[in-house]
Amino acid sequence: MIKAEKLTSIIDLNVIGDSVRNDNLKIGKEVTDKILLCAGGGCIASGSLAVKSALVDEIKSRGLEDKIKIVETGCLGPCSRGPVLVTAKDKIFYQGVTPDDASIIIDKHILQGEIIERLCWKDEATQSPVPVITDIEFFKRQTKIVLRNCGEIDPLSIEEYIARDGYLPLAKVVTEHSPEYVINEMKKSGIRGRGGAGFPTWMKWSFAQKNHSDVKYMLCNADEGDPGAFMDRSVLEGDPHSIIEGMAIGAYAIGASQGYVYVRAEYPLAVERLQVAIDRARECGILGKNIFGSEFTFDLEIRMGSGAFVCGEETALIHSIEGKRGEPRPRPPFPAESGLWGKPTVLNNVETFANVPAILLKGGDWFASFGTEKSKGTKVFALAGAINNSGLVEVPIGTPLGEIIYDIGNGIPNDKKFKAAQIGGPSGGCIPKQNLNVALDYESLNDLGAIMGSGGLIVMDEDTCMVDVARFFLEFVQEESCGKCVPCRVGTKRMLEILERICDNKGVEGDIERLIELGEQIRDTSLCGLGQTAPNPVLSTIRHFRHEYESHITKKHCEAGVCRGLVRAPCQSACPAGVDVPGFVSLVGERRYAEALRLHRERNPFAAVCARVCFHTCEDKCRRSTIDEAVSIRALKRFMVDQEITIQIPEVRENAKNAKTKVAIIGAGPSGLSAAYFLARLGYRPDVFESEPRPGGMLVQTIPAYRLPRETLAREIRMIEGLGVDIRTNKKLGVDFSLSELIEGDYKAVFLAIGNAGSIELSIPGSDAKGVTTAMNFLRTYNLRGSVPVGKSVVVVGGGNAAFDAARSAIRLGAEKVAIVYRRGQDEMPAYVEEIDEALQEGIALMPLTNPEEIMVEDGKVVGIRCTPMKLGEFDRSGRRRPIKEDKVFVIDCDQVILAVGQNIENPEIFEKIKLKMNNNENVIVHAVTHQTSIPWLFAGGDVAVVGNADRTVIEGVAAGERAAVGMDEYLTGSNHAFWREERPNDTLFDPGAEPVPFPRAKMPLLSVDRRKNNFNEVEQTWTEAEAVRQAKRCLRCDYGH
Amino acid sequence: MSHSQCQECQKEVTEEELLSQLDGILDDYVDKPGGLIPALQVAQKLFGYLPKSALKQISTKLNKPYSEVTGVVSFYSFFSTEPRGKYVVRVCLGTACYVRGGKEVLSSLQKELEISVGGTTPDGLFSLDIGRCFGACGLAPVLMVNEETHQRVKPDKITELIGFYRDLEVNLIKEKAG
Repeated sequence: MIKAEKLTSIIDLNVIGDSVRNDNLKIGKEVTDKILLCAGGGCIASGSLAVKSALVDEIKSRGLEDKIKIVETGCLGPCSRGPVLVTAKDKIFYQGVTPDDASIIIDKHILQGEIIERLCWKDEATQSPVPVITDIEFFKRQTKIVLRNCGEIDPLSIEEYIARDGYLPLAKVVTEHSPEYVINEMKKSGIRGRGGAGFPTWMKWSFAQKNHSDVKYMLCNADEGDPGAFMDRSVLEGDPHSIIEGMAIGAYAIGASQGYVYVRAEYPLAVERLQVAIDRARECGILGKNIFGSEFTFDLEIRMGSGAFVCGEETALIHSIEGKRGEPRPRPPFPAESGLWGKPTVLNNVETFANVPAILLKGGDWFASFGTEKSKGTKVFALAGAINNSGLVEVPIGTPLGEIIYDIGNGIPNDKKFKAAQIGGPSGGCIPKQNLNVALDYESLNDLGAIMGSGGLIVMDEDTCMVDVARFFLEFVQEESCGKCVPCRVGTKRMLEILERICDNKGVEGDIERLIELGEQIRDTSLCGLGQTAPNPVLSTIRHFRHEYESHITKKHCEAGVCRGLVRAPCQSACPAGVDVPGFVSLVGERRYAEALRLHRERNPFAAVCARVCFHTCEDKCRRSTIDEAVSIRALKRFMVDQEITIQIPEVRENAKNAKTKVAIIGAGPSGLSAAYFLARLGYRPDVFESEPRPGGMLVQTIPAYRLPRETLAREIRMIEGLGVDIRTNKKLGVDFSLSELIEGDYKAVFLAIGNAGSIELSIPGSDAKGVTTAMNFLRTYNLRGSVPVGKSVVVVGGGNAAFDAARSAIRLGAEKVAIVYRRGQDEMPAYVEEIDEALQEGIALMPLTNPEEIMVEDGKVVGIRCTPMKLGEFDRSGRRRPIKEDKVFVIDCDQVILAVGQNIENPEIFEKIKLKMNNNENVIVHAVTHQTSIPWLFAGGDVAVVGNADRTVIEGVAAGERAAVGMDEYLTGSNHAFWREERPNDTLFDPGAEPVPFPRAKMPLLSVDRRKNNFNEVEQTWTEAEAVRQAKRCLRCDYGH
Repeated sequence: MSHSQCQECQKEVTEEELLSQLDGILDDYVDKPGGLIPALQVAQKLFGYLPKSALKQISTKLNKPYSEVTGVVSFYSFFSTEPRGKYVVRVCLGTACYVRGGKEVLSSLQKELEISVGGTTPDGLFSLDIGRCFGACGLAPVLMVNEETHQRVKPDKITELIGFYRDLEVNLIKEKAG
């Protein structure tokens, strides 16, 4: 390679470029290979420099210095997998490379041509290695303009930059074209400023060009202060010459002769590499006087920031370069008129400048062919947070958010659910899962209350509290507010105080409205962009996650389990019923089973039931999972309840007045019986009306005995009856009695918990044939009557627990073949993972992505079901991929079809008569805390009156029953007497300094398939005492010291 | 006479010596437009912080009112008028690090070093600060010890991390002695 010296013409550039290109042609011939090692900031932090020196040592020790070259490149993108490298000859990508891998890379790969699979990227679905970089989804789906050289060249080598057509656009522009030509190409390209606001770049340049002045300035904003954005850093580190060239072209267009790059002090490596690049450019005559023999003169200097976020604002940045406090000033005059030292000045962002040489090289029209109508080109996003592939990605503007998160980012780690993406940093907003399909362009994001900003894209999962996020951003802007204008200085402080209060369990009604009012005032009256956008994160989270704010303020509950003031332990917070999980788990650890059970029943009467059927949201939030796996809370509960000999009844407070107050409960399911239980503990004697012959609701009617033995349930119901609850069976609302009769009959309050016993019909042809039934009917008939007709070959339609209960019951009742067909993917089946696993063991065929089209009927009987295979399309409002039909059909032969597509209220007309307020989902509207309906004496809960986005589960029913009991008592007496809600001190032994015990999570033993397939014996078995105690000790006791 | 350690050469030098070094360096900044902030950055690198004597010298030499110099110093968070620890530990609380547990890392450090944010340990070894995004979001949570970035830091590994620097210091003292 020829070292570049003074370059005065395009010919000089070509000589240098050819020499580098010739060297590259030698790879695989005279030169064995070249290793492109990522030395971006991320990979350096992961140890890529140690990898480099190991590689150098290995090459030296073999005397191959002339045969194997190593180049330190800029950022390749997938930062979380660093250190990464690419071999130039075959484009093989290796990740997570350690110094120990150096010898094997040299010997096996470089010298013998053998691919080291262990270090390759793995295909997400098949886990098979994908060695070639261009085959990897993460790279394949990107379009690189800004990052065209990052990872391809040595950022410190001006020669390598020139070999990729670098400085050719500048040379052409200054020798062949006018400033107007440059501005016109920029106009054709349609590029808008990448710093955040999206102002058309050509317009800024044109203003400055037209302002006559002897001195003008070109500034580059590299004060990338938005937390979560690191694209500028990567460009500066990976391709500094592109910034120099972009600025020089801009300077030529506006007539500037001096430029400054304002880099933040947190990026020492970027400063270092940019300085080297500037020095080299100056040596080669690319900066300085008479560039490429023209009249054009331009020089560049770096100015380092000193840690002030506000300096990202253009007027503040200018003050800072002038050596002053970095405070903004009102505009106009705009910098294009009066900027640095009062002279016309253009300020653009790093990413904007990186685009300029590409636009001038290939033309504005070429650039405009990327992107959307109003937003052209590509955008670099810094993908971080709860995402599998974090790093830098560049995509055409207008790419849907979901594609970046799922196709490039490969989704959310640890099977957590996507909650929101925060875009645009402290000035931006969040995008909830309903909007995963949003095109990432300036306008669409504004419509959602977010901004493109500089491109920081932070993915948040279900464990993120949106109120806490808003508080975090406000704390940030409050600290960074320069203090010059009052709305920003004082207003953000007041907003922060309100948010801190909410997160600390001291929120009051009206706080949300106050935040909105303050936010709008600050937005409208602040001096600069920092203040004007400061309220965005708050306003945006209120807009999309208002229910979380409400839940913090009224229910005193943080659903993500984050806010310390509201969360004692994440598991307890995650339990809808608020069971003291660390309490009972630690008591089990000390073999104090009776105490543990009493503590559990303080908040949930159905300990033994929930030990079998609970969805265990507690385990999803268990902090132990950050070490290995969650504590087996449900299995510990199972062991605990199995030790119960005499029934453990918690405290009951007798009350003569309450005992005389008549209260009715309609429906003896989990919710109704829980309300009865808690009312009884306050001294009431509630009457429970149940339409079926046996109490228990869904627990007895649909959940099969192999999951929940009937005696287990009966025992807990007897316990509730023992507290003075009168259960009257075979009493159906609307048939045997009416609501008005109850009130006229001296009942002072009524709790409606009739559940969703109706089945949603699937309206496909043939669904009225003989042999078609619903899961509800099928299960209820068997469970209450003891027998039900079962086909030989059964197809169940649906993916919820009811579908699996029906399928597994059918197998037990003699069906030879059972298949479950479900429209969406298996990962999206709402059924519990345990149930899916056990069903598969029992030989049930799972057919996800299969849509039933028609039930085939012969002689009035089912003979098969015609289905269409589905594939996953774009994201729908639930944040799941919408299944779309493929152009194929197939038929499954069967003689019975069981439909399990959903449930609804059995006879809603009862409510119409009394004018009860319902919403479209046929859900009774109730107060979120008291469960009071639009009729003061009537309360409702459970599946018939779901609050917010709660699941229709047993534990949610229990929680609703408890809240309603407290609400009814408050309605009847005027005050709250829920004594069981007080925190119980935990007196078990715990050493906070000790290391967590090393035992892994154990599974519950299961009955073998051949011993369970033909009967309804309970499948899950309990642990030994030694195992249970060991498992209990795995708890990290997050409640300790709270 | 106060003694301090030169940040660059790690040798004991007197403040007078440092001030005379600064005087030489400041010649480059006298006529530089907007040279005050770069001058302060150089001075802070030299002293490890900005003592009053250095600020006075900068004020005189650059012909700027002392009030203007301190006004600039107080505005930017990078400038410190108090001596900092030899190792400045900065925990990133940028968005990505925050949602990945940066807060827990910070509280673990506070416990380990027994100082709060902005503080310096009595032995002068460590200072604790928070940072707002180091641009290593893909590796969150991160912290920086001086200019070295540590990635994916876990709260329960803090003792080990700090221990590494403590050992480093013990070895330095031994080397000097031996």
